[in-house]
Amino acid sequence: MALVRPRLTDFYGVSSAQSELDFVIPFFGEDIPLYVDPFLLWRSPSHQDEALHTGLVNSFNRQNWLLHKGRENEAVRNLILASECDEVGLGLSANRKGKRIGEATAREMLQVFRAVPEYAKHGFTHFEEIQLYVDGISKDRISDIACSFLKSFLIDYTIEQCIRLGIPLERVTLQNIYDYKRQEFVSGIVELPVNADTSAPILLVPKRWLRFVPWINFDDYFATACPKDDVVNRQGADDRVHVLLYNRDNYGMVADYVKAKERSADDCHNDPLFTQIPVTSAKRKLAEIKKLATGKGENADKKYEQAAATLLASLLYPHLDFAATQSRSEGGATIRDLVFYNNRSVDFLEEILQDYRSRQLVFELKNVHRIERDHINQLNRYLTNEFGAFGVLLTRHPLSKAMFNNTIQLWSGQRRCILALTDADLELMVQVFESKQRFPIEVLKKKYVEFRRACPV
Amino acid sequence: MKRTEIDEFEKLNAQLEGLHQEMSVLAKKSPNDAVNAFKIKLVNTTIDRCNKLLGEKYKPFAEFQTFETDELPSNSDVTFIVSQYIECAEKFRADNIFMEHGRWYWQLDGGKDEIRTSAPKKLNNK
Repeated sequence: MALVRPRLTDFYGVSSAQSELDFVIPFFGEDIPLYVDPFLLWRSPSHQDEALHTGLVNSFNRQNWLLHKGRENEAVRNLILASECDEVGLGLSANRKGKRIGEATAREMLQVFRAVPEYAKHGFTHFEEIQLYVDGISKDRISDIACSFLKSFLIDYTIEQCIRLGIPLERVTLQNIYDYKRQEFVSGIVELPVNADTSAPILLVPKRWLRFVPWINFDDYFATACPKDDVVNRQGADDRVHVLLYNRDNYGMVADYVKAKERSADDCHNDPLFTQIPVTSAKRKLAEIKKLATGKGENADKKYEQAAATLLASLLYPHLDFAATQSRSEGGATIRDLVFYNNRSVDFLEEILQDYRSRQLVFELKNVHRIERDHINQLNRYLTNEFGAFGVLLTRHPLSKAMFNNTIQLWSGQRRCILALTDADLELMVQVFESKQRFPIEVLKKKYVEFRRACPV
Repeated sequence: MKRTEIDEFEKLNAQLEGLHQEMSVLAKKSPNDAVNAFKIKLVNTTIDRCNKLLGEKYKPFAEFQTFETDELPSNSDVTFIVSQYIECAEKFRADNIFMEHGRWYWQLDGGKDEIRTSAPKKLNNK
């Protein structure tokens, strides 16, 4: 069954929505644009997270010890191995595969221990400060290094979550697990969920550790703490490399910046993968839709699709997790406008899965004055495989009696359910989104109930 | 009428007035907003008991029983229906009371007790 943007949970038939789970649901085909921020572990009230942070920083500082013992090559090897953790699927890669750092970058990282006496003596408290000294080390590397050193914990966490949800585990050989006792990377045979496309093992990461940008990061340092006049005077320019060089000679600036970030730690929170638009924006989007003329004039159809996609993704969250817009079928012949994962988070969605076998819900957007038979047939053609036999037409005006009867006939003849959501329904959704008296998904349920009542017994 | 029916009527009538007052405020603010499931459940309980007491003769609409939670009734829908029930309840009361020496009483089945009530609203309004 070919799901659009397949996720671990949906593939294995687990119905929980992203908002209900403790971990971020990995995609099979791409990375999630979030990163593990070690600062979130440091500031966490949980003793476990704090201890993990201590272990993580100790593991990183161990490379300094190796350096001092004349085992630089070992430290270089460790940093290279730690620099990529494909199993977690975080970052921007389109195929869940990343590249490790080169030897030169690893040596440059070790050079920081030599160049800054404070680190040579005491090591890092927040190892993400390394971003402020080495070019090419940023949020993705920090996240991967953290995951690599914490991999042993992530294995246990993944197994626990998968057993709880009933996600099948397979015996796999996992490379580069950091052994805290031996202080080195080892491989091991463990039971983990696997990517159905590639059979690669998957590790789950708690949502509470994830941010789009680490709390301590170069851009923030440059904008808020870096004395640009000093940098220019001493280095001759204020581009990234010059700032990094300046920092090596001026540890005090970095230390002050980090202290300031620690003081404002209460403001540091994890980022959700999806954020609903505020009520005012939802109302604005609705007004924009209502003002649009029907048809394709002045790109009205594109504008309609954009506004409706943003609006629906927010209105239907957290009951339906948004999957994709403009998703092409395998041959590229058809483009489905909006696709949602069917999380079965409300009773009616369970019924949609049972009666219509819809693991994903497809919404077809039609900015037309009147829905014709062709529009209904087009949506009907999409209703195969993963989409089951349930689809929604998002259009401007109610269906004519003849077209409504057409949808009823489709149900009678083929047990296909095609609902039409109109501007009026969107308005009601926005209204309940604002008043919080009902959930917007209940408007879809209302339409379904009305449709089913019109169907012959 | 039986004493228990009169008690039931007076309770339901007070509830209908209360519901109407509360829902009217909401309906004025946002008439098309959906009523939450908790309120609908309580409104339905009251309407269901009204249906039993009023019977087919006094029920406002033969085809309306209670609200369907899944149909997302709006504030104005509820206000409209509740006001219809208030009117029909008053018709029901007006048909079951009588005046004696300038005072209004409920018609009690075979009882000697006298239960006073107010004059029909349509008389007060004149």
